[in-house]
Amino acid sequence: MAYQLYRNTTLGNSLQESLDELIQTQQITPQLALQVLLQFDKAINTALASRVRNRVNFRGSLNTYRFCDNVWTFVLNDVEFREVTDLVKVDKVKIVACDGKSESTQNKNDK
Amino acid sequence: MASSANSNPVPKLYKSVIEDVINEVRELFLDEGVDEQVLLELKTLWENKLLQSKAVEGFHTEEQAALQAAQLQLQQQQQQQQQQQQQQQQQQQQQQQQHHHHQVQHVQQVQHVQHVTQAAHTQQVILPPQQQQAPQQQVIVQDPKILQHMSATGMSAAATAATLALPTGVTPYQQLITSQGQILQVVRAPNGAQYLIQQPQQQILLQQQMQPGGVQAPVIQQVLTPLQGGMPQQTGVIIQPQQIVLASNKVQGNTQVMQAAPMAQQPGQAAVQVQQVQGAAAPQAQPQQQAQAQPQAQPPMMLQVDGAGDTSSEEDEDEEEEYDEDEEEEKAREGGEDGQVEEEPLNSEDDVSDEEDQELFDTENVVVCQYDKIHRSKNKWKFHLKDGIMNLNGKDYVFSKAIGDAEW
Repeated sequence: MAYQLYRNTTLGNSLQESLDELIQTQQITPQLALQVLLQFDKAINTALASRVRNRVNFRGSLNTYRFCDNVWTFVLNDVEFREVTDLVKVDKVKIVACDGKSESTQNKNDK
Repeated sequence: MASSANSNPVPKLYKSVIEDVINEVRELFLDEGVDEQVLLELKTLWENKLLQSKAVEGFHTEEQAALQAAQLQLQQQQQQQQQQQQQQQQQQQQQQQQHHHHQVQHVQQVQHVQHVTQAAHTQQVILPPQQQQAPQQQVIVQDPKILQHMSATGMSAAATAATLALPTGVTPYQQLITSQGQILQVVRAPNGAQYLIQQPQQQILLQQQMQPGGVQAPVIQQVLTPLQGGMPQQTGVIIQPQQIVLASNKVQGNTQVMQAAPMAQQPGQAAVQVQQVQGAAAPQAQPQQQAQAQPQAQPPMMLQVDGAGDTSSEEDEDEEEEYDEDEEEEKAREGGEDGQVEEEPLNSEDDVSDEEDQELFDTENVVVCQYDKIHRSKNKWKFHLKDGIMNLNGKDYVFSKAIGDAEW
């Protein structure tokens, strides 16, 4: 199973909202919607791994950090994100990061 | 294409993901017996929401690739929207008379354009399958202003139904969705009069309930007279929910969903509310608040007891008092013992309120990614991240690798 991490993105949320609308009008079942989301997880994970090739640097101050269930959650303040092309500054950013090494299956954590 | 590919990889990436997902789930849809049309609708909804979010620059779908220039023009000419809506209404009416698929799609495309520019709530209009053609057609319509214009052009619900050449024996059952999400049901009684029944928004599911095959009693809280289409009969006629259910069951899968301006917006039409069984008709312009108060002895399906309709129902209060007398006494006793029955939640002064201040702005800048390595030395943190999607200041970015430094 691929990470469901990317469901809370613009792309993922718009998909979930669309699926919810179809469920409300009973054009699809919730089970089918879940299948679609699982397929989305696979697709987005694959696409990010294969089709994206750019680097970003960032610098800021760390406000909070959390490591739980092998998931890091950071909150940074006054951050600058620098790409070759442009620069983006934000006052606050939350970073949620899943383990990049054992992404093939989440069951490895179970013992 | 070459220049855009270098500048921003996000639209292409999103498009490819959408295509992949849609193609992969097509089989799932077919296995479940879901029509291809639903799949296309999913794709359309998905792309539209992405466009609405404005998080992606230069994002376009296949349909809208040809309409981008038109979109820019429309964005600059927002004052002409109403005129265009009128034209669309005429096109819609023509389509209703002719019912061709591609015309619907053409209108759909045009309406997609306005859909983006107006950022208004989109609502679906499902035209009834005509006697000559079986499949349903979908047209996305805009504001309730449309119906105002529709009414202005003389095409009332009755007239449109007449143009559809529906058999007189069948009771056409129409549902109108207002921009506020309320459902107005237009029911044509056998005597030719039309009535608008307003329902609260919560019962969107009732659209399916209205389909035949199930004896379901929708929550009908008011019956309003129809538009100014010149319906002759008005007050004095009381429609009970059972009758309406029977009327809806007569329709064989023909649910016509159109948009109607809420009756409150057109007080000049002499809308008269006909209460169910209970009281005399009280002509007012705003049915909603009274609607909640009226259906009391009726089967209380999805009654809205809170909000405006809270204290207006005397009968309910009388009935409840009988039940709640004992309960209230018990609660009073417990309250006296604790001394803070209602005040317990207020003891939240100990909470740190920093989060509330920081969460008040619009965009929560979020980065979802995976970590390769997280390193810390004293209070110096180093982040090695990969495969991430960022939403910063409302815009979407992606990266394959990200390296960062921060001090804690």
